[in-house]
Amino acid sequence: MATKPRLKQPGAPARPAPEALLKMYYFMVLNREFENTILRLYQQGKVVGGAYSGYGNEATAIGSAFALEPQDYLFPMHRDIGAHFVRGQSVRAMMMQHLGRAGNLTRGRDGTGHYADPNLRIYGNISHLGAMIPVACGAALAGTMRGENAVALTYIGDGGASIGEVHEGLMMASAMKLPLVLIIENNQFAYSTPLAKQTLVERLSDRAIGYGIPGITIDGTDVLEVHRVCRAACDRARSGSGPTIIESVTMRMSGHAAHDNAWYVPKALLDAGKKKDPIDRFERLLTGEGILTAAKKKAVLVEIETLLDTESAHALALPYPPGPEAAEGVYADA
Amino acid sequence: MPKILTYIEAISEGLREEMRRDPSVFLLGEDIGAYGGAFKVTKGFIEEFGEKRVIDTVLAEAAIVGAAMGAAIVGMRPVAEMQFADFAANAFNQIVNNVAKFHYRTGVPVPMVLRLPSGGGVHGGPFHSVNPESWFLNVPGLKIVAPSTPADAKGLIKAAIRDPNPVLFLEHKYLYRHVKAEVPDADVIVPIGSADVKRPGTDITVLTYHTGVVWALEAAETLARERIDVEVIDLRSLAPLDTETILASVKKTGKVLILHEATLTGGIGGELAALVAEHAFEHLDAPVRRMASIDTPVPYAPPLEEFFLPNTEKVASALRSLAAY
Amino acid sequence: MANVDVVMPQLGESLTEGTIIKWHKKPGDKIRKDETLLEISTDKVDSEIPSPVSGVVTKLLFEEQKTVAVRTVIAVIDTDESAKVSAPAAAAATPSKAAPVAPAPAKQASAAPVPPAPTTAPASGRFYSPLVLNIAREEGIGMAELEQVPGTGEGGRVSKKDLISYVAARKQGGIHFGVPAAPPSPQAPRIESNLKHVDTGDLAKKYPAPQYDILQMSNVLIKMSEHMVKSVHTSPHVQAIHEVDMTRVDAARRKNAESFEKREGFKLTYTPFICDAVVKALKLFPLVNASVEGDKIIVKKFINLGIAVASENGLIVPVIKNAEEKNFIGLARAVNDLATRTRTKKLAIADIEGGTFTLTNYGVFGTMIGMPIINQPQVAILGTGAIEKRPVVINDAIAIRSIAYFTLSFDHRIVDGALGGSFLETIVKLLENFDDKQAI
Repeated sequence: MATKPRLKQPGAPARPAPEALLKMYYFMVLNREFENTILRLYQQGKVVGGAYSGYGNEATAIGSAFALEPQDYLFPMHRDIGAHFVRGQSVRAMMMQHLGRAGNLTRGRDGTGHYADPNLRIYGNISHLGAMIPVACGAALAGTMRGENAVALTYIGDGGASIGEVHEGLMMASAMKLPLVLIIENNQFAYSTPLAKQTLVERLSDRAIGYGIPGITIDGTDVLEVHRVCRAACDRARSGSGPTIIESVTMRMSGHAAHDNAWYVPKALLDAGKKKDPIDRFERLLTGEGILTAAKKKAVLVEIETLLDTESAHALALPYPPGPEAAEGVYADA
Repeated sequence: MPKILTYIEAISEGLREEMRRDPSVFLLGEDIGAYGGAFKVTKGFIEEFGEKRVIDTVLAEAAIVGAAMGAAIVGMRPVAEMQFADFAANAFNQIVNNVAKFHYRTGVPVPMVLRLPSGGGVHGGPFHSVNPESWFLNVPGLKIVAPSTPADAKGLIKAAIRDPNPVLFLEHKYLYRHVKAEVPDADVIVPIGSADVKRPGTDITVLTYHTGVVWALEAAETLARERIDVEVIDLRSLAPLDTETILASVKKTGKVLILHEATLTGGIGGELAALVAEHAFEHLDAPVRRMASIDTPVPYAPPLEEFFLPNTEKVASALRSLAAY
Repeated sequence: MANVDVVMPQLGESLTEGTIIKWHKKPGDKIRKDETLLEISTDKVDSEIPSPVSGVVTKLLFEEQKTVAVRTVIAVIDTDESAKVSAPAAAAATPSKAAPVAPAPAKQASAAPVPPAPTTAPASGRFYSPLVLNIAREEGIGMAELEQVPGTGEGGRVSKKDLISYVAARKQGGIHFGVPAAPPSPQAPRIESNLKHVDTGDLAKKYPAPQYDILQMSNVLIKMSEHMVKSVHTSPHVQAIHEVDMTRVDAARRKNAESFEKREGFKLTYTPFICDAVVKALKLFPLVNASVEGDKIIVKKFINLGIAVASENGLIVPVIKNAEEKNFIGLARAVNDLATRTRTKKLAIADIEGGTFTLTNYGVFGTMIGMPIINQPQVAILGTGAIEKRPVVINDAIAIRSIAYFTLSFDHRIVDGALGGSFLETIVKLLENFDDKQAI
């Protein structure tokens, strides 16, 4: 039997400096408050489509995106809004995008995080989860061909991991040793389907054995652990050793989308999830170490609240794109 | 200096010239490297361009198409091969949801080519013979080309590679080695969206492509001896269609036979008939007629497949009946 | 057996003739009373003519596309249903023996006696392709003549080639048919018109296909064209534009929409509200409900309110007669009745005559402001633009109101700015202060 590939994890020194930790904290709060703002707008009837939330997933989104270098490619999923911000996407652009306004990233042709921003190397998911994993392979391949030393970081859920394209993408990435990092965000539920109805494997990272690549399961509510392990997986990818699967265990603290009150989720799970709230956890740690003071915390909250107020007002004041624009842009001009 | 090439050699030559011209062009697919591809289109490529640009992939069509798209959206010009067009079905989600919609949604071009060895007449049976154009004609965002001659094959593969949009390149397996003709040596591009009058005539227009062009030209020769003058329009590009050339021909002759090897119902023939009815009704001197393969899967045994497909005799007989109308 | 003559109806006092567009029955067909016998076209309107009795159609005396004086007998119906069908009537149907005749299709014996024009089924039952009919039209070949062109196509069909050879032979003077002179072109207008008739053949050289399409103007279009030019030359048009706050009307419409539709069987639109206001205002300003004859003003003591409707045949202005006698519900029913009959082509000539004032609603197309042309011999027309929500200042606060722009075009020969402005303002005030206590 071949030896199981392992992810070499660096020791203690990988921990980011205090300023970086405060930035992580800022983005985690921004992630949650941005989604809360969208949810409020949804409840006011100002979001024409669905509204999704990464409540409980903030540490995974932020910690993983912090592991990236500028040349890397990000293929986020709908629970990873925070990763867009870490990557440099503006709140203004995201707000306009979520509200379908004229002049936004997709000219109103698609909503939520379904967009691409080549300047930031962000390529959002489509509703067919898993479909972007082969695409991420292609970006990783192109980066390798051009000597960019770039990693493609992408995500899937515990439900999405059942989709065939995930397997095909992992087959290709592993056989070609492509610099791909796949985070399986195991938040226990795929819409209403619990993990037990999705798979018999104990840990979703065990699937890595089948691809001959490292697989590791981590606590997805601990932003520092997520960051450390992603960093290691990116290093491995950059070294030419191929992809890694990271199963990031979290709890989905809201419904599948805003319309879903998640009545089917046992209360005990939510109570346990509440105790492991990624932001609370990180806040306790930073406060305990004296990095986050009460004044700093307040400043962060005020800054984010002001920013979201300004940007939601800005987006709401914009018109929708004019109807006839629907006929444009099916093809790229030569 | 022009030279005589088979259809398959013309595709190879077009690919090779584009790879020499543009380092961002690369190939990926199953068995395309050392083996040279199931039909040998890429024979000798790995020797010239190396395994980094002629990539043998895992047996996973969705991954092949998805990876081609991923490379395309970050600036490469991949040409992906499906071993048989039938297997594009395994990559359906990638093609119709990801590739086709990406530019419309994001404004980011997807300059990729998907080569689809298509068509019957080679005893491939139900899973190696499909003409898949109708699967994709109702999907905005894809361009679809289907050459019938070596010169068009070369000119269109070049155009497809240089196009900023995803292009499905339908190459007909029967034509691969059955058709041999002059190909310009120069860097000649056949623009996507332009049909070609393969034979001018005054009495009946045949709208066709791929093997249909071969059948129609042969039938036209027979009918010329019966003093029926047939015009053969080779569509070459199925999406977008060259409506100008199509309608000009119909308005000239007043009679139309639409001919394709793909099965009849839901085929592009219906679209062409509607186009003619909407825009040339008052120029029609006979009902629009269609000829296509019958509505069954492609059968395996030779007499069955022969019954299934149109051929020169069937086309000639349809043309005679139209002429007599 | 009782023969009943069907005559070309006089669909309006000013009309002297009508064109038979299409027979719905052929000799031998049974017909019920009030079932459509034929469609006719006049200068003003296209109309379906119902049968006066039940029975069997025994004679159709004119072919389609023929223009016939009013009160001429055009068909005969036998009320005895077992009646025998008489022999074909029109001479035009019988081709000259000397003429080369196409192989006689089997259907000929039982076919209609009158050969219609190329746009419809021919007497012989022979099929003509769109292309053949097109060539015939361009060459000025009527159906009677076309029927005699030898056909070499399937079942004796005249193919493109057949007709082209025929035309070539005819041009060389080689063909003479003993048929009545065919109209110059089957679709050429048969109405009195000041528009210069131009020959398609010459035009087609100047504007070759496929870059150009050459279309024949319909009767309705020709009339509209002449009417509009005449109006602009007759009346010095002045326009006054007024903003109207339709919020109250909108509220009343919404409030009553459901009960109204339940009771009346049709939807409550803005139109009756506007009609109601216009009728009330006309009662206050009778000089707007007038016309000019020489140096005299004719003031009308009744209000016939015309409502411009875009129909598939072109612009038609059906008229609500004696609108001054109708309350809101009466107006609403009249509007609906006219709109329905316009759509179903059941308008009678009387329905479109005698208007004293016209209302045109281009707002349905989203137009905000229009400059309508007066419908002669009237002296004013009201155009209503799209109703849209806008921010407006009320008592120094910004409010969202449903706003439209109304344009009154009036004839400055007899209506001056003061009169026109006051009349328009009255309409506006009536709508803005719409009395929602009144019966809706």
